[in-house]
Amino acid sequence: MALLDDIEPLKRAALAELKSATDLATLEQSKGVWIGPHGRFTALMKQLGTLSKEEKPAAGKAINAAKLELEAALAERRGELELAAALPKEPTDFSAPGRRRALGRLHPLTQVTEDIVRSFRKIGFVVADGPEIEDEYHCFDALNTPADHPARDTQDTFYLASTAPNASPSPGEEGRGEGGRQPQLLRTHTSSVQIRVMEKQPPPIRIIVPGRVYRRDNADATHNPTFQQIEGLYVDKNVTVGDLKGTVEFVFKELLGEETKIRFRPHYFSYTEPSFEIDFSNALVKKLGKDWLEIAGCGMVHPQVFENVGYDPEIWTGWAFGFGIERIAMIRYGINDIRLFYENDVRFLKQL
Amino acid sequence: MKVIFNWLKQYVDFDWSPEELTERLTMLGLEAENVLKIGGEFEGIVVAQILTKDKVPGSDKLSVCKVNDGKGERTIICGAQNHNVGDKVPLILPNFALPLKPGEKEPFVIKERKVFGITSQGMMCSPQELGLPDKVDGLLILPKEAPIGKSFAEYLGRSGGDVVYDLEITPNRPDWNSVIGIAREIAAVTGNQLKMPEVRSQKSEVRVESLVSVRIEDAELCPRYTARVAKGVKIGPSPDWLQTTLEKVGIRSINNVVDVTNYVMLEIGQPLHAFDYHLIAKGKDGKPTIVVRRAKDGEKFKTLDNIERKLTGDMLLIADEQKGIALAGVMGGQNTEINEKTVDVLIESAYFSPTNIRRTSKALGLRSESSYRFERGADIGICDWASQRAAQLILETAGGQLADGGVDAHPKPAEPRQITLRHHKVNELLGIALKPEECEFHLGQLGLKIANRKARPVGASGPPEPVTFQIPTFRVDLKHEVDLIEEIARLHGVDKIPATPPRGAIGTNEFDAVHDQIAEARRILSGLGLNEAQGQTLIAKPEVRSQKSEEIVALANPLSSDMDVLRPSLLPGLIHSLRHNVSRKNYDVALYEIGRVFKNVAQTSPSVPIPSEGVPPGGAAGSRANPQAGNRRYIEERRVAIALTGQRTLPFWSGNERDAKFDAFDLKGLIEEFLEQFGVRGVTYGKGPESSALFLESAIIALGGKLPLGEMGQLSPVLAKKHDLRDAVFLAELSLDQLLARRNSAKAFKPLPQFPAIRRDVAMLVPEATTHDAVLQTVRKAKPANLEGVELFDVFRGKNVPAGQKSLAYAFTYRSPERTLTDAEVNAAHVRIVEAFKAQLKATVRE
Repeated sequence: MALLDDIEPLKRAALAELKSATDLATLEQSKGVWIGPHGRFTALMKQLGTLSKEEKPAAGKAINAAKLELEAALAERRGELELAAALPKEPTDFSAPGRRRALGRLHPLTQVTEDIVRSFRKIGFVVADGPEIEDEYHCFDALNTPADHPARDTQDTFYLASTAPNASPSPGEEGRGEGGRQPQLLRTHTSSVQIRVMEKQPPPIRIIVPGRVYRRDNADATHNPTFQQIEGLYVDKNVTVGDLKGTVEFVFKELLGEETKIRFRPHYFSYTEPSFEIDFSNALVKKLGKDWLEIAGCGMVHPQVFENVGYDPEIWTGWAFGFGIERIAMIRYGINDIRLFYENDVRFLKQL
Repeated sequence: MKVIFNWLKQYVDFDWSPEELTERLTMLGLEAENVLKIGGEFEGIVVAQILTKDKVPGSDKLSVCKVNDGKGERTIICGAQNHNVGDKVPLILPNFALPLKPGEKEPFVIKERKVFGITSQGMMCSPQELGLPDKVDGLLILPKEAPIGKSFAEYLGRSGGDVVYDLEITPNRPDWNSVIGIAREIAAVTGNQLKMPEVRSQKSEVRVESLVSVRIEDAELCPRYTARVAKGVKIGPSPDWLQTTLEKVGIRSINNVVDVTNYVMLEIGQPLHAFDYHLIAKGKDGKPTIVVRRAKDGEKFKTLDNIERKLTGDMLLIADEQKGIALAGVMGGQNTEINEKTVDVLIESAYFSPTNIRRTSKALGLRSESSYRFERGADIGICDWASQRAAQLILETAGGQLADGGVDAHPKPAEPRQITLRHHKVNELLGIALKPEECEFHLGQLGLKIANRKARPVGASGPPEPVTFQIPTFRVDLKHEVDLIEEIARLHGVDKIPATPPRGAIGTNEFDAVHDQIAEARRILSGLGLNEAQGQTLIAKPEVRSQKSEEIVALANPLSSDMDVLRPSLLPGLIHSLRHNVSRKNYDVALYEIGRVFKNVAQTSPSVPIPSEGVPPGGAAGSRANPQAGNRRYIEERRVAIALTGQRTLPFWSGNERDAKFDAFDLKGLIEEFLEQFGVRGVTYGKGPESSALFLESAIIALGGKLPLGEMGQLSPVLAKKHDLRDAVFLAELSLDQLLARRNSAKAFKPLPQFPAIRRDVAMLVPEATTHDAVLQTVRKAKPANLEGVELFDVFRGKNVPAGQKSLAYAFTYRSPERTLTDAEVNAAHVRIVEAFKAQLKATVRE
């Protein structure tokens, strides 16, 4: 029975030693002393043979139990010591700045354009596109612009060199019949795409057209020779001024906030009749000390424009509107100089 | 167009305040660009009489008075001593301001206030307080006859307050370029009568036909010309009312006759001209003769502004039998100008072709109030009325006698224009339900008369019959049915048209999907840490490099040499943006731009990288014939470009790599990741030209080594220095249209490998000229079995590497999808590679 009585004191001594080990090396050494192949518990196991048949099972069971207990203690202590060893010498200063990876930003004009596109897509519009180098027909004539309208002036419109109107009869007077020798220009509005799309597609039409346009204005806080517009065109049967108002209100409330008020003022554009200018009012406008701020032009597509693209104005009606993207971005972000959009100062780009 | 509140009130009654008028006009389509209050310097100051005067209890100096301000009694506390019961004084009412004194910034506003427990309801004024020169110690005591309650300004004989509106007149409404035109609009909305000034014909011994004859030689450019003659006028300054009216709208007063012509032009919109009758040469019949003819090419003519102008045969001249006397519709001539000796005046009131006036005015760079009105379209029907009105005012202001009648040369009066309105169209277009009577009422208010109405058979129902309207001559803008519908919408009130929720067909356009793909490209690039830039489309020609000059699209009329061509590449703009940033001490910049570039290429040019072939529908930005030069065409191509300079990473406070600057492989890595994410595979990077105007070193990016997609490289240090760029600059530009056409964004799942991979490394010395690409090709040719991947993990030059050589280290991964490979199998494959390196690359493999 001596063997059985030895187990408990041995185990206690072993546990005490394992638990008091202060580093991993000491711990491994103790492991060898007690439960390693030459350890004392292994030796005890070997002594089992000396016991009687009756004593053997109880003693064997006790030794195994003790060994398991020691192994558990060993693992626990090892875990503790490993953790202690892993701890840095100095604590981490979590208030120090992290090693950041910057996400790049979309240009503010892209962001605004995408927001506008998203609003329109909610109500069934799709995006269309067209060339920036245009001819007089698509930019002016087809849009019912009178032949001697000032917008066609070289004062206001960029013409391309090889087709300068000065090199030939002045714009608007030129015979269209001479093999279509039309002056080429940089489109002054996205409305030219209305014509291109209607020439290609039969009605109904429901498109928006974001894009760059050009006017011969010297750059200053509110002008840049290049700027961006978005055009909307909807052609269908039984389209009314009420529809125009409904859509415009929907989109501008999406863009400028639910509390935004919209006002339509009679105006004049050659390609719409009736024509309106759209003003809006919200907290932002009030902050600027104004009641209303002009934001867009619109109207019902002029029957002449439909005739120009081969739509029957007796069957089809529609509306179009257009507005400047920079203007929306300037209002939305409180930007006071349009030139910032084209300088690409990273401090500007990263802010918005 | 400037119009004055009180002037408008002469022609139509309305009870709107000046602010309300602004609002009403705006909603009619007459937006006020500016509203200016004028002459209200004594606003809120009235003549009042002192009724009682008592001492204020508890004060030595102050008195309390009851005064009558014309409307009732007020209590006023006063510190002055010179006033007595019965005196009349200027009294300023609460909430009005005293006139500004020199040096004052804010006007002093009088408020009701309590003094010694008594509320003072205004203030009696001293001349100093009113800014008047009278020297009185105390209040300004007015004469006994000063009427109680009269505005002080009026009492002084100064004009009272008025409001000047500067209205934006849309080009379709020339009739709004007159006070009566705007009054007519107000009359239409209010339903009140338009009060036209009365013109009376005067009897005279002399018939005008005996004094002047008119001969129109070009009736197309001048369909109507009227003349009147006033004899015995006395030229002098205009009366006050005329001078001040003109001054308020910014027109300088000249003399009574000229002022009258200007006044009538502003009033009714018809430009007039007055000639000194005796300076017009006589014709064969002994009478001064007005000849309306085209100028001769090169004919010289001195206009009123004392400038001699050279005319062309396209310009219309008013002449006598010997000389030109006025540039028709634009400006009078110096030779027949009204002067102080003028006694007889010929009044011209005519109609000229808008296009012709516009061309003349533009060609000569000469604009006038007159040319402005004619070029937008004057009212041919009002010529004679305006002439009579002017004649009458000349007699009133300058005296004299009017010759009987007027010469009215109007060879072919046009039939009045008629437009038919179908009532159902009104509601169909506007989305409202107006009754036919309402529509007709609104149009009637605007002066349109029903010319014809088809009578409906008795008892018949159905839509109302179309009505034909006769359009008044002043409404040159009304041409189509839809124009009438617009008028109805305006007068009904656009704000009363209810908004209907979006409805109707869903749109379709082939570009819609392309828009999303471009947006996806942007998202990937921004996700990679690049900021999106947007550059100018117009750049300076010298900024264009590596571009054939005949391909450059130049402007005919640039604003400046800074912006005279369309960008053929996005890179000049990005370099510009880098420069802008670096000059503002933003040294670390990583940008990309997606935008269009422009080229003028030969129709058959094979070097054009972007034909529309292969591009998704609606994809290519566009290519169109340049008709002016038959064999060339314009190309618009979408591109994506990247520019990097400065530090690779955001600032950090530890680590060896923290100060590392961008290098060529940062750029290449971005491109590789972008192209992979965007679904473009099989891209090669071949060595570009040694160095170019733009690049120090560059690579041609291509598909399968053939189809060029773009170029990447390091900016030439010469250019970098020129743009004050401190650190190395790396640039790349790719054709986005080409990427859109070639991308394959389809994705499919590949099962994850089930068996382990075995890795073998090779380190070798190779000649410096050996490229990674050459290594890969050698591997490929060796056809090692089960090779899954090759990775370059080290390039080293220096210690233990002989000069002219470099050390490359590669990791090779072997894996079979079917089983676990044995070492022997892998070794057999791997030795093929090693042997190929030795044999073909002259490599020394470090075993």
